[in-house]
Amino acid sequence: MQEKPSIDIDRSKGDFHYETDYAYDAGLGLSEKTVNYIADVKEEDDWIRDFRLKALRIFQEKPLPTHWASEDLLSINFDKIRYYLSKGQQPSRTWEEVPDDIKKTFERLGIPEQERKFLAGVEAQFDSEAAYSRMKDNLAKDGVIFVGSTEGLMKHPEIFRKFFGKVIPTGDNKFSALNSAVFSGGSFIYIPPGVKVKQPLQAYFRINAENFGQFERTLIIADEGAEVTYMEGCTAPKFETTTLHSAVVELVALKGAKIQYITVQNWSNNVFNLVTKRGLAEEEAEIRWIDCNIGSRLTMKYPGVILKGRKARGEVLSIALAGDGQHQDTGAKMIHAADETSSNIIAKSISLGTGRSSYRGLVHIPKHLKNCKNNTECDALLINSNSRTDTYPAIDVRGERNSVQHEASVSKVSAEQIFYMQQRGLSEAEAMSLSVNGFINDLVREFPMEYSVELKRLIELEMEGSVG
Amino acid sequence: MNALNIQDLNVNIEGKPILKNFSLTVPKGEVHALMGPNGTGKSTLAKALAGHEAYEITGGKALLDGADLVGLEPDEIARAGLFMAFQYPSEIPGVSIANFIRAAIQARLPEGENLQATAYYKELYDKMDALAIDRKFTSRAVNEGFSGGEKKRCEILQMMMLKPAYAILDETDSGLDIDALKIVSQGVNAMRGPDMGTLIITHYQRLLNYIQPDKVHVMWDGRIVRSGGKELALELEEKGYDWVKEELAAATA
Amino acid sequence: MHQDTSSAPTTTQVDILSGDTFQKHQASMPSNAWMQAQQAAAWNTFKSLPMPKRTEERWRFAQTVGLSLEGYTLQDKPADAEAILAQSAHLEDYAGRLIFADGHLLAKDAISEELAAQGVLWLSLEEALHSKPELLERYLFSLSTQLGSDKFEALGRAYARAGSILYVPKDVQVKSPFVAYHWASQEGASIFPQTLIIAETTSQVSLVDFYLSASGAPALACGSSHVHAGPGAKVFRKSIQNWSRKTHSFQSDTHTTERDAELYSLAVHLGGEYARFENDVEITGAGSHAKLYSLTVADDKQMFDQRSLQRHQAPNATSDLLYKNALCDTAKTIFSGMICVGKQAQQTDAYQTNRNLLLNPSAEAISLPGLEIEANDVKCSHGSTSGQIDESELFYMLARGIPKPVAQKLLTFGFFEEVIAKVDDPALADNLRLMVEEKFATREH
Repeated sequence: MQEKPSIDIDRSKGDFHYETDYAYDAGLGLSEKTVNYIADVKEEDDWIRDFRLKALRIFQEKPLPTHWASEDLLSINFDKIRYYLSKGQQPSRTWEEVPDDIKKTFERLGIPEQERKFLAGVEAQFDSEAAYSRMKDNLAKDGVIFVGSTEGLMKHPEIFRKFFGKVIPTGDNKFSALNSAVFSGGSFIYIPPGVKVKQPLQAYFRINAENFGQFERTLIIADEGAEVTYMEGCTAPKFETTTLHSAVVELVALKGAKIQYITVQNWSNNVFNLVTKRGLAEEEAEIRWIDCNIGSRLTMKYPGVILKGRKARGEVLSIALAGDGQHQDTGAKMIHAADETSSNIIAKSISLGTGRSSYRGLVHIPKHLKNCKNNTECDALLINSNSRTDTYPAIDVRGERNSVQHEASVSKVSAEQIFYMQQRGLSEAEAMSLSVNGFINDLVREFPMEYSVELKRLIELEMEGSVG
Repeated sequence: MNALNIQDLNVNIEGKPILKNFSLTVPKGEVHALMGPNGTGKSTLAKALAGHEAYEITGGKALLDGADLVGLEPDEIARAGLFMAFQYPSEIPGVSIANFIRAAIQARLPEGENLQATAYYKELYDKMDALAIDRKFTSRAVNEGFSGGEKKRCEILQMMMLKPAYAILDETDSGLDIDALKIVSQGVNAMRGPDMGTLIITHYQRLLNYIQPDKVHVMWDGRIVRSGGKELALELEEKGYDWVKEELAAATA
Repeated sequence: MHQDTSSAPTTTQVDILSGDTFQKHQASMPSNAWMQAQQAAAWNTFKSLPMPKRTEERWRFAQTVGLSLEGYTLQDKPADAEAILAQSAHLEDYAGRLIFADGHLLAKDAISEELAAQGVLWLSLEEALHSKPELLERYLFSLSTQLGSDKFEALGRAYARAGSILYVPKDVQVKSPFVAYHWASQEGASIFPQTLIIAETTSQVSLVDFYLSASGAPALACGSSHVHAGPGAKVFRKSIQNWSRKTHSFQSDTHTTERDAELYSLAVHLGGEYARFENDVEITGAGSHAKLYSLTVADDKQMFDQRSLQRHQAPNATSDLLYKNALCDTAKTIFSGMICVGKQAQQTDAYQTNRNLLLNPSAEAISLPGLEIEANDVKCSHGSTSGQIDESELFYMLARGIPKPVAQKLLTFGFFEEVIAKVDDPALADNLRLMVEEKFATREH
């Protein structure tokens, strides 16, 4: 049987690069000097600077987690990365004001068009800083805040400081510490009580420079009864050298609030994508992560929900596609901390060529809790005989009338199935594409329309001769 | 020549010869029945003609309106006009019947031409009604969780939608109750006409009560040993396959 | 029954961690150069390895802090040998029996002349060192655990003396089971049970190991068992563990299956304060078949730490694991299972199921079911559930007039029955039911 890397993902969309001049460049490598440089450029308050410096020490002390994670982490050279790059721009409120070289990039990625069509607000980040940030006027009237991370901390400390770094402590892991030391960009969002934002807010992250690390920081707070959907997309040109993306995303859903966070990750496959995402759900609140990983060289990302209030609900729906040479190490964490909380995890992965997909999960129900439920399903599809999949769940249950169910399965697209479809006149590639889409179909349905179309387009697969 | 013309076909499975100089011609516009006991190579013929890679064609030709099918990919054979109704249709999780048939029709359209969705759905619903398939089935995954009868009706539905020049029905009648058998037969009869040649592979004479064949062939040990009119099927039903076996033994003795 | 009345070895209550003790142990072993070298090497390995830490993946969630090897000693033959022998009677019918206590052979029931004539060997480890050293050299200690207990396995090997060696030649089928008893009796005793089963081509055999305590005294057990199932052989190995509540136990099993072999492993865990059970099955032969069952009843502050590995290295093989745990009080169980399917192991069917029944809000069940799949044409799945007695089942029974405690008990025993039903020996199955009931009965007082 063929072992050729028969399926390729369309990554051409983001694979271009326009020359850009930067006014601020923290240079290569990471030290106290780098951190101070960033704090200086951003004119941050002292407490933020101290927060950063403390995080840097934690980052430096913590070893890489290679005792359980991929050894590929060792190939990141932290001294060969630039930790801050910007033109020194304030985010523009109209596309006309965005510098031409940057505007060209986002136009080519179709962001202004999407904004017109179906978004309530957009933030477009170019390397370290947002180039464009705008939301619909009516949202501002309702009291919605949608700003960059630095602006959020400086202008609205009473709202953001309370939760900043609380859902994900700096020392949670080495990469959350790294982000805490050098974070720049990302969105700080506050939805006032009862406000239901109908259309999604979107952030688009663009890495443009080589040898660069992007470290955006996002904090979304939905006050009591508020609702919001946030979507993020990302691309980078394909460079020869490695690029690092290490974000921290914290969500807070107060009583009865709902937050839906959608990611379609399509980094080029020189990017290490090491992201920490966690939400805190208060009483009867709901947090839902829809996480789709298609790009990058190595992704390590396990979105989690701390179910802190009674009847809180958490959900992770995850799709991972690991192509040749890629490792999608994804999963979910559900920390139950109140009675009658429920969580649901559905993870589907597809491994093709030498791709490897891993699921890591954590479900924790401590002993004082009652009537909690978790359901986890992991399904892996292997396309080629050299593809690989792993499943590493950890389930820890105590308490009364709690129930936890975990099921995982591994399957392949069978040769008989492909033959049947070919007999109806479909080419082998079309047959394979239908089968793969069929495998993830029920999950893709959960995506907002615009994104499910995007996702299907991304999985336009070129798979002649790939059954094997 | 407008026919499915199989000449001296030899097929091996895992090196073992199953079809031995098999020859048969089904002219367009006719319905032929191929009968025979289990293990004589009937299904092998169907799978080999459809281009399944496990069936190795070691010699002979299979001409579809004069063009040889041997060596083509399964989908090329299908698009050339040969449809096979499977004895055991595959289940395809997550792919709805409507999308599946649509993709199959789209694959037959010239580059750049798109299927008209409204006309497609109208035709699909008409044919589903004719086959007494609930319209809700359009959104169900192909064959997943279907009963035996539902699977076979779904095969006939696909045949009616794809309108092949030739069709091979591999044991389509097995596992059907009498009502389902009638519905399936109606579907096949509705397709009957000058534009299609049909080969019905069956173990039982029963199906031929509902679909009148123009010719009946009896298969034994990898080739056809007797051909005749529809009365041959009745004779077989009466005397059993042993009769053929004895006749064959007498003839070769 | 032949009672062993030979004079006791010279080891009298000496600390197992001291080099002197080990030297004396070596001196008392039958003089076999291979074994002497093996044990010396194992001792060095034991000494060089650190105690495991919870941060190691293979010890994730384990309570490693209180684990200590201090204070355990090698013991003389216990004085209560007669009582122990009388209690070693769970099976009515057996092909051969070995009874060890505190590491010493107390008695042996040899095999029938008929079996001996067919070439079956049933020997204590010490006997085998004298009469079949070549067999031991080939198979004993030939595989090491990959599941984390390297240090304890090494300690067990260094002090290995009590052990059963079973060899079944080609085509020989032994109907009745073999039985081995490993008793811990005296205060602070340390025992190191070894089991080795070699089943040659298309042979058939079963063996039951009992790991029991004759008193409530603290003890340490570091044991290993190894089944080598030859081509087409069928082996059923059961182990029944009911140590005293002050015993720490580390059992590392490593099994291999050759082409078309069938291996059944069934383990019942009732006793111990901390009991770790590692079950590592290496599927080296195409078309072979491994079934792994385990049943654990945990109460009080007991901690059962179970790690399993189904290693598929050959195509067309199947493996199926079912581990069931029932937890009372503040007991804790860990199930950490892994199915590894190598590139060459196409057409593998591998399954893994862990069911935890939580009978008390403070009990803790941890489940780590894992898959690592490198072949694509495979069917693999795992399932894990943790929960209480099904409310609707309970209600159904109450609605029939059954009192709640009775209904709970019935449902709990129903939970165990799935595993007990796999025991092919009715007498043993009944004994297991009794042992489980006894454990529950003592809880009710």
